[in-house]
Amino acid sequence: MTTLLSAQNLKKHYGSVRALDGVTFDIELGVTGLLGANGAGKSTVLKLFLGLLQPDSGRAEFLSIPGAGPIDARQRIGYMPEHNCLPYALPAAEFLTHMAEVSGLPRVAARVRATDMLRHVGLFEERYRAIGTYSTGMKQRVKLAQALVHDPVVVLLDEPTAGLDPGGRQDMLDLIRSTGRDFGISIVLSSHLMGDVERTCERVIVLDAGLVMRTGPVAGFLEETETLIIELAEGATALATALAQRGLATRAEGRTLILDGATGADYDTVRDAVVESGALLYRLAPERHSLTEIFVPPADGEFAE
Amino acid sequence: MSQAIEHEGPADGGAGIGEVFDLGYQGYDGERHGRWQARRAIWRDGIRITLGLGRGVTKKVVPFTFIGLVWLPAVIVIVITAFISTFGGSIADIEGPSFDEYYDGAMFFTVLFAAVVAPELLCPDRREGVLTLYLVRPITATDYIGARWLAFLTVTVLTLWFPQLLIFFWKSLSASDPREWAIDNWLALPRLFAAGALLGIFLATLAMCGSSFTVRRPYAAIGTLAIVVISAAIGGIGREAFSGAVGEWASLINLPMVTVSVVHWIFDADTVGPLDERIYFAWQTVLTAGFGVLLWWRYRGQGR
Repeated sequence: MTTLLSAQNLKKHYGSVRALDGVTFDIELGVTGLLGANGAGKSTVLKLFLGLLQPDSGRAEFLSIPGAGPIDARQRIGYMPEHNCLPYALPAAEFLTHMAEVSGLPRVAARVRATDMLRHVGLFEERYRAIGTYSTGMKQRVKLAQALVHDPVVVLLDEPTAGLDPGGRQDMLDLIRSTGRDFGISIVLSSHLMGDVERTCERVIVLDAGLVMRTGPVAGFLEETETLIIELAEGATALATALAQRGLATRAEGRTLILDGATGADYDTVRDAVVESGALLYRLAPERHSLTEIFVPPADGEFAE
Repeated sequence: MSQAIEHEGPADGGAGIGEVFDLGYQGYDGERHGRWQARRAIWRDGIRITLGLGRGVTKKVVPFTFIGLVWLPAVIVIVITAFISTFGGSIADIEGPSFDEYYDGAMFFTVLFAAVVAPELLCPDRREGVLTLYLVRPITATDYIGARWLAFLTVTVLTLWFPQLLIFFWKSLSASDPREWAIDNWLALPRLFAAGALLGIFLATLAMCGSSFTVRRPYAAIGTLAIVVISAAIGGIGREAFSGAVGEWASLINLPMVTVSVVHWIFDADTVGPLDERIYFAWQTVLTAGFGVLLWWRYRGQGR
């Protein structure tokens, strides 16, 4: 697997505030989530890779080129900041053309790429309108388009769904997914929203207070547990009794029964008990791990790597 | 790279009917230029901002008004001359402004132009956060600020040179022997270019430096004008209040006097300040360099 971005023992302080305390990780091809609460150090990591910040110690490398190293490396990296970064008076097409030129594309190619990118983010019809007249969702799309306009190898997205309503958020996540999977552009998605990372990313790096808590495939964090969730429309008490008669103890949470330590054979037992008790079954499924659990410290206070 | 193609051509395969192809996302495998292309793009964008090109009408009004005011005396002289000569009058008695006098007169409007228009190149980029997008591209902060400064300087210097060239050619063509007049007065050309360039560099650097200290354009404009006006007031008071050498050296505080003295020195015209004009030239050079370093220093840490 090709390593695109590599952080090696990165440390960064803002005065007396510790932003990063020796983080080490690699980011490979594909869509990677950088997950953490506000102040965890996500934006600092991105700025170190872009060369906008200098680390106190350690190295932030892009394709083995230090972040603050050869300027030309930035021709192949895109960045979508969290904060406002758009000129309100300019039409989107003109702004993207200019940004593509500044990234090194010839003028004609820059104009073509700008139009293509605005078509991909769904703003083709609106491309000659001043950006200041756009809605928040449209501005987020322009921000994404400017990050892609020079055809980067990897694009760093800092909280791309910030300020969007649920519909806009879903559209943005769909765009990010298609960028990563259909365009072949690798993505680093920085977010404090676990749902965004679960829905879009293949791998995740979890930061907390300037430290790497966990890294690995997102699927690994969402595996099934041995807890069985039995959701019922009615008859929860009768089903609990029928299961108890078959030696299965359950916990009741409203109309839901929870069976801990379920095995494969227990599914058949539950099915038979549902039939016998006459309960109306709504859903029967194993519980899955959630990225939320990462932020709940284990009893012994140690995090598994 | 995805290259899904949907073909919705005619079912019978006939020709002449429109076909729609969705080629999907296309990567860019073409030529990529280096930093000079990026600098040139920012310079070109800076010129468009300075003149309000590609922007609304209101963005064009201010720069073209001031440029018009700088050019107006030259245009008036030429129009009057043409009017008089058309009706058979003699234009021999029409003196017109000398080159140094023209710069003296244009100074006021050029200062206003620099103070009001220069903030347009810097303040919005910082206020709207666009500067971050420049700094993550293959340029440095020095490339950015250098290209922006050069763009404003280009317009300022051309604004100063154009009416002077008009006057030069007007004087040449209105002479009894234009060729002989041009040969006798050829030295005026390098002088007017040099004087316009030095004046433009000083005012552009001062105004851009002032604009680097705030994200609000009105504050930047007022700040730059305040520097010029207050320096003239303090310099004038100092010269009056102190006798002898102290009063003479206090004239260096008076920025308009410094620039006018340098223009007069270049044209070998009457002196306006109490000191040797070479001292004013050296002082203007030091001030220009100082404002330039300050401007660079303000942007050196931007985005970090």
